Amino acid sequence: MNSPANSASDVLVVNGQPEPEPEIAVRGLTRTILREEHFFLILSVFIGISSGLAVVCFRFAIDWARLYLLGTGAVLSPIRLILAPTLAGLVIAFLVIHFFPATRGSGVNQTKAALYIFNGHIPFRTAIGKFITAALAIGSGHSLGPEDPSLQIGASLASALGRKMRLSRDRMRLIAPVGAAAGLAAAFNAPISAVLFVIEEVIGRWTAGILGSVVLSAVSSVVVMRWFLGSESLFRIPAVELKRPSELLAYAILGVIGGLASVAFSSGIVALRPRCKALPRWTQYFQPAIAGLLIGIIAVLGAPQVMGAGYEYIDQAMHGQFTWEFLAILAGLKIIATLLSFVSGTPGGMFAPTLFIGAMLGAAVGGVQHTLLPQLTGSPATYALVGMGVLFAGFLRAPMTSVFMVLEVSGNYSIIVPVLVANTFAYLISRGLQPIAIFDVLTRQDGLELPSMEEQREEDVLQVEDAMHPLEDPVLDGEKTVEQALRDAERAKSDHLLVKRSPSGWSLVTKEELRTLAADGKRDTSLGSLLPILYVPFLHPDHPLETALRYVDRYPLVPVISRADFRQLEGVITERDVLERYREFGEG
Amino acid sequence: MDGIPGKSWEGWEFVSPPETIPIHSKVAAGTGLSATLGGCGLNSARTFRDSMNEFIASGIESDIENEEMAAGRLNLRYYFRQQPVMLAVVLVLVVIAFLFVTALSHAYHAQREALGARWSSRGLVDLKAKNFPAAVTEFRSALLYSRDDYDYQLNLAEALLGLKRAGAGSSYGEASAYLINLWDREPENGLVNLELARITAQQGETTEAIRYYHDAVNAVWPADQENMRRDARFELIDLLLRVNEKAQAQAELIALSENAASDPALRERIAALFDRAQDYDHALAAYRLALRSDEHNESALAGAGHAAFELGRYPLAQHYLRSALALDPNDQASAELLKTTELVLNTDPFREDISTAQRDRLAVEAFTTAGDRLQSCAVPKTQVPGPAGLEPGLNDEWDSIKSRVTEAGLRRDPDLLNVVMDLVFRIERHTSTLCGAPTGKDLALLLIAKSHEGSN
Repeated sequence: MNSPANSASDVLVVNGQPEPEPEIAVRGLTRTILREEHFFLILSVFIGISSGLAVVCFRFAIDWARLYLLGTGAVLSPIRLILAPTLAGLVIAFLVIHFFPATRGSGVNQTKAALYIFNGHIPFRTAIGKFITAALAIGSGHSLGPEDPSLQIGASLASALGRKMRLSRDRMRLIAPVGAAAGLAAAFNAPISAVLFVIEEVIGRWTAGILGSVVLSAVSSVVVMRWFLGSESLFRIPAVELKRPSELLAYAILGVIGGLASVAFSSGIVALRPRCKALPRWTQYFQPAIAGLLIGIIAVLGAPQVMGAGYEYIDQAMHGQFTWEFLAILAGLKIIATLLSFVSGTPGGMFAPTLFIGAMLGAAVGGVQHTLLPQLTGSPATYALVGMGVLFAGFLRAPMTSVFMVLEVSGNYSIIVPVLVANTFAYLISRGLQPIAIFDVLTRQDGLELPSMEEQREEDVLQVEDAMHPLEDPVLDGEKTVEQALRDAERAKSDHLLVKRSPSGWSLVTKEELRTLAADGKRDTSLGSLLPILYVPFLHPDHPLETALRYVDRYPLVPVISRADFRQLEGVITERDVLERYREFGEG
Repeated sequence: MDGIPGKSWEGWEFVSPPETIPIHSKVAAGTGLSATLGGCGLNSARTFRDSMNEFIASGIESDIENEEMAAGRLNLRYYFRQQPVMLAVVLVLVVIAFLFVTALSHAYHAQREALGARWSSRGLVDLKAKNFPAAVTEFRSALLYSRDDYDYQLNLAEALLGLKRAGAGSSYGEASAYLINLWDREPENGLVNLELARITAQQGETTEAIRYYHDAVNAVWPADQENMRRDARFELIDLLLRVNEKAQAQAELIALSENAASDPALRERIAALFDRAQDYDHALAAYRLALRSDEHNESALAGAGHAAFELGRYPLAQHYLRSALALDPNDQASAELLKTTELVLNTDPFREDISTAQRDRLAVEAFTTAGDRLQSCAVPKTQVPGPAGLEPGLNDEWDSIKSRVTEAGLRRDPDLLNVVMDLVFRIERHTSTLCGAPTGKDLALLLIAKSHEGSN
């Protein structure tokens, strides 16, 4: 399609008739004031505000659902503990199957699908469905969190706004992640973590254009959220500290345990989810209810902490209110409860359960350490915080986000060393035992092939030095005469020869051209003065190999030179070299 | 542009004639759905099919609009599709949404506030009734609705401490966490400082405890500030005495007594603490002040007697102790002390109200008592190191003057009294370290020795 906006004449024609004057004026004015990138930034702010408002309402809805379904007290009646998640499960199943089928799961993959498959299109109905079903699920005690649904609600709102604004396809593709960042930031009250997560796990690349929009939307949504719900973090953070460097050993152990727990958690999902989906269709009406019933039984048997997002219990764990034995039991039960909720197809997020499991594991490890070496151990809060990061790194496999999330939530940078140590162990163990990240597994279980951000991060990048070869023929000196150059050229195997120019630069010349120059009586003239001013482009050994593709079809050989000395030739690269290297790479 | 017509920013394309690309091909090209749908499971297929249908529908709608626009029928709609205009519309919608959420938020917060207050009031009732488990649950419930409410947190901490002190709580951890959080918010709050002081004192963190107690003493109290500060200081003094920081305790007591009202009970309490802090001068003075308002205060009389006894003012001690025993003959401690006091008075040859003959007799008796003590204690008869090298042992000294120590001998040599009593005092001191605390006359002589230490 051509783009009339790019033409200078700008007298647009509608069915052959000139456009009315005022419309031209409006168009001209808006085009002058608003370029698309500026417009996109402004729109990002609106997306942030809208998402923030939506997430605030979502929080209200979850709390109201909890109040009316489970009761108002801290100690809940057993009948409600059993009935609320069970009956809510039935309602949720009906709504999901008949009205909102796109609301199953967490929402992260749906947002990625919008980016990579649907050109940023997420039906607005998804936002409504996610809002209702996730609020009901979390409020009734299903072991799920509000963050991923908030992310999807934000993405869905952004997509709707983008469609109304008739954005270009490229912008439309980006609008869902922008909304996702806003939704996640508001749900987490942590804009930096939200931005990082969206960049790390959804978009997968850093560019100024994306970053600006994502940051603006995240900040706007957090401002709105704080306006209505206050700026307090999800849990009270007591003083965190690393008492002694030797304590890092305990954090390494926490990383190992967290990595194993992550693998257990994700393996459970990977194994059970397809089985649940493969059951007869009529069972889907009952799967969330059965999950709710089992969670209710766990709660009645003494662990109501596993219900819902569980932030208040993370807070209590941080303040040393549970014994380490109970903390370990809670971590195990939460894994089971979240597995039940998630594989049954109940809409809701996995961020909060991940943080819960991590906090409980961390505090349990801290408790054991405190029992064994009371003088060497920091506060349980420190271990709980690090534990959250560990599960985030091990289960969600977002290493950068996991570190910054802990820093942002704790507001204390002294915790960075334990977090780095523990997260590294957890991430490596998780990657070693479960090579494919959970979001990628879920995507593939759904029959989609979205790009894996983790695989992209880990992918080997071919460089020019992997394909170049040393130049066997002599390099001609531009200062020398044509006769001397011809003498050197006659010894060369190749027909094309590189010429080193003064003071810098490289040119190409063929033997035939040299012979012609000699025949024209220019034997004693310097070669450089006869060659065209247009130099051959050069590459450096560390350039990505794809950069070479820009030149190798136009030049028979491209010089590869040292970055330290632009006159020092490291080798040359040809089209054949590049293609050969790619072929070898493809064959593994 | 190869996107979907009518959906592009770039070129105001929606005013140009619509493209003739078939919708199905555009959708397939734009989404790649044809490639992905085949692999979807049942639910996924439904999801993506729905999405695709909406996607197609929106494309159709755009095409129709473009055609209408092209026909010039929708000039007003044209303006509304200009992005700045739409942005303004979105702004208006956002403002409306903001107002709506504000109203919702007020209702939400009001409800939570009411729920919090309801649970809190129940908790307060249970806290007053010392029903700590119920109070803890209720304040926890209240905090669900107002996590940062200062009073709820403080009350929960109180309930948790009550639970712990009643032996039902597991640890001070949670209460301590709440209190530290409250302290961070209001470091000058008296009750928070006091409770933190109690917890840290309980945990053996004396320095921290003393700091919190000091803060509590100087803190702001919501009501009855003077009494609360005084009580905090009393607890501080008690702690200082327990950890044997007597000098600090005495300083606090002096400050306390200066600010104390003329309440005799308070004076008596201060006096008792001075007594524990071994500041007997101030103790005696405080007891006397207490007795001024009630001279028949038996505990003050007993305390004054003890203070006077410790000061070596035995006649005064005798007076107070006798008065105390007259009021309470069952006061065994005072009776014992009076007995010792009277023994001291009856044994002391340096009393001014006795005759020379009596003094000489008492000196001879003291010498005999000391000799018996030497023998019963089996002090070795060896030379002992002294400032001038090896000196004769106490046994030798005693033996050397034994023949001279008679009433007649003392009359003849008035200076002998001091020599005798000096030896007696040294024997009693030495044997008390060697053979344990003396009793009876030996105790009396030791006390006399101590009371004469200053004068010697």
